[in-house]
Amino acid sequence: MSNIVEVNNLTVSFIVRTGNLLLFERGGGMMSVVNDVSFNVREGETFGLAGETGSGKSVIAWALVGLMTPRSGSVNLLGKEIDFRKKADVTYLRRYVGIVFQDPVGSLNPRLRVKDIIREALVASRAFDRRDYDSRIEGTVDLVGLRKSSLDAYPRELSGGEKQRVSLARAIVVPKKLVILDEPTSSLDVSVQAQVLNTLKELKSKLGLSYFFITHDINVMKYMSDTLGILYYGKLLEVGRTYDVVTNPKHPFTMRLMANVPGLKRAKPQEEGERLGSQGSSPTGCVYSKVCPRVFEKCSNSPPMFNLGSDHQAACFLYDKTS
Amino acid sequence: MAEGYLESMVQSRQVSRKLLDVQGLTQDFATIDGRVRVLENVSLQMEKGEIVGIVGESGSGKTTLGLAIIGLLDSPPSEIVSGSIFFEESDILKFSPEQLSLIRGPGIGMVFQESLAALNPVYRTEAQLEESIEVLRRAQKLVLTEGEERKMMIDILENLRLDNPEWVLKKYPHELSGGMRQRVSIAMAIVERPKLLILDEVTTGLDVYVQNRILNILKDLNRRTGTAMMFITHDLLVASQICDRLYVMYAGKVVEKGRTENILSAPAHPYTQKLFAAIPQGFVDSPPLPVSTGEAPDLRRLPAGCKFHPRCPFVMQKCKEVEPPVFATDQGTTAMCWLLEKK
Repeated sequence: MSNIVEVNNLTVSFIVRTGNLLLFERGGGMMSVVNDVSFNVREGETFGLAGETGSGKSVIAWALVGLMTPRSGSVNLLGKEIDFRKKADVTYLRRYVGIVFQDPVGSLNPRLRVKDIIREALVASRAFDRRDYDSRIEGTVDLVGLRKSSLDAYPRELSGGEKQRVSLARAIVVPKKLVILDEPTSSLDVSVQAQVLNTLKELKSKLGLSYFFITHDINVMKYMSDTLGILYYGKLLEVGRTYDVVTNPKHPFTMRLMANVPGLKRAKPQEEGERLGSQGSSPTGCVYSKVCPRVFEKCSNSPPMFNLGSDHQAACFLYDKTS
Repeated sequence: MAEGYLESMVQSRQVSRKLLDVQGLTQDFATIDGRVRVLENVSLQMEKGEIVGIVGESGSGKTTLGLAIIGLLDSPPSEIVSGSIFFEESDILKFSPEQLSLIRGPGIGMVFQESLAALNPVYRTEAQLEESIEVLRRAQKLVLTEGEERKMMIDILENLRLDNPEWVLKKYPHELSGGMRQRVSIAMAIVERPKLLILDEVTTGLDVYVQNRILNILKDLNRRTGTAMMFITHDLLVASQICDRLYVMYAGKVVEKGRTENILSAPAHPYTQKLFAAIPQGFVDSPPLPVSTGEAPDLRRLPAGCKFHPRCPFVMQKCKEVEPPVFATDQGTTAMCWLLEKK
């Protein structure tokens, strides 16, 4: 099976300013919000990315559609290396990668009707004849399960689930290879979420899409993704087939995460000895070492990914066989 | 120490009596399209120290119920058509605004869904908490020195397991993370020592273990102080982790209620069953999720008979004509569904 996207050693940094403007102090520097992250999305599969708020999930998503320029690392889409400084390359990226943003309200222009919101994507791509626009829009709206009558509606007249379907229609009206779904259901009710998840699965097999799926809901993640990556403070701590990662987590952070997944059985939530607010990565060393229950001397170095067999990798010195 | 502590808790549970008694509450909203019934004949009882969950989808009336109990609905547009809300044996619907403001805070506290919107953006945490302490001081006629007040704030934040209370006190809401902000909102409510705490979707939008941490904190608080909690959520999984009893709401009605474990093991109402079925459980190769057909109910145009019948897989002729009364199930729960009628 070939890879749609190969991401190698991706690092995205923000410029941080400190100091007092009034006193003409200058300070600050670069802060890496995504640090040396590598993963592949296979054709026809869903790559799930899970992690806490602020772990950099969305930043990776933005980089994959060229909304952020990586500081280093490479992104390879369909065998072509993307140079983020070249406009043509970013256009190429956006031609094949669609995105659905987390906030359905904020990502739809309130002054445009649904059909015009979707039309914008067609106009921007310049991939189709103007005369085909209407039929394409109608076809797509049908695919994502929206009623024809909503074409003339404004976003505010739609429910949360319908808005997310409009976002989805806009993302795929120009046929894509990869669709990035950034928490597409986290603002929806369970039953609406179930409907949207079903639609997403259906579309994927019908249109031969691949997904890059971001969520913090592990139950949704299990149900949607083939491969699962766990992100923590900009670092990918574990990656593997979803079944392996969920049933046999290797990294201490993943273990804790999986123990906290709410299930239908009435279990007591795990009480962890770790304290919130004490995160913040040391400049060197494992990002999780400050709160890790199994920390030892080696953790003051940054762990590489260790292979655990059958596509399963974890960035933790517990699996360092050389010692 | 732990043993005596637990025993004292059991004791207080045994002598507990009724704290809140909502009787047949029916509430309308006046809109441009006419009157819309948002709550119909809702009855709900809570004992002291209990954690009760109100579960339902958006638009089912769960937040309205919370707001009605704490008396925060403007009238007009809202209007209570019938019913009563007894809090500690007095009907608070008959209270004057002045009397109500004494109940609010030390009697009934509420934590709202969006902590960013609920906190004042131009106040630091300490000023927000000061406001709450002021309410408590006025209600209980306490005299507090500045030092005592400060200690109280730090104490409460520490109890909510915030790592560096001094630091948090100096921060504006936008400088805190979602989980921290939610805990500041909770701190504002509990600093007033409410007997009943209404929590409206407090864990929505937080990630799994910030969510779990908050659930643990709330449970712990409930155990230690005996504060009764009304936990409003659309997430059955979350509700099932913390609540002693559940009320499931649909289109402004309580369609099922009972002890959490009984509802979990055998949901009686088809709507509750649907809610459970919609939770993804399996891996990627599992079959599509069974979803309810049809739209969420439009309160302006509710169907005759059972309000759920257009989406119900077991619909019968009777359901379309006559609204079902409340039936008891074998598990000790009750549900509004004709399927439970004993032949």
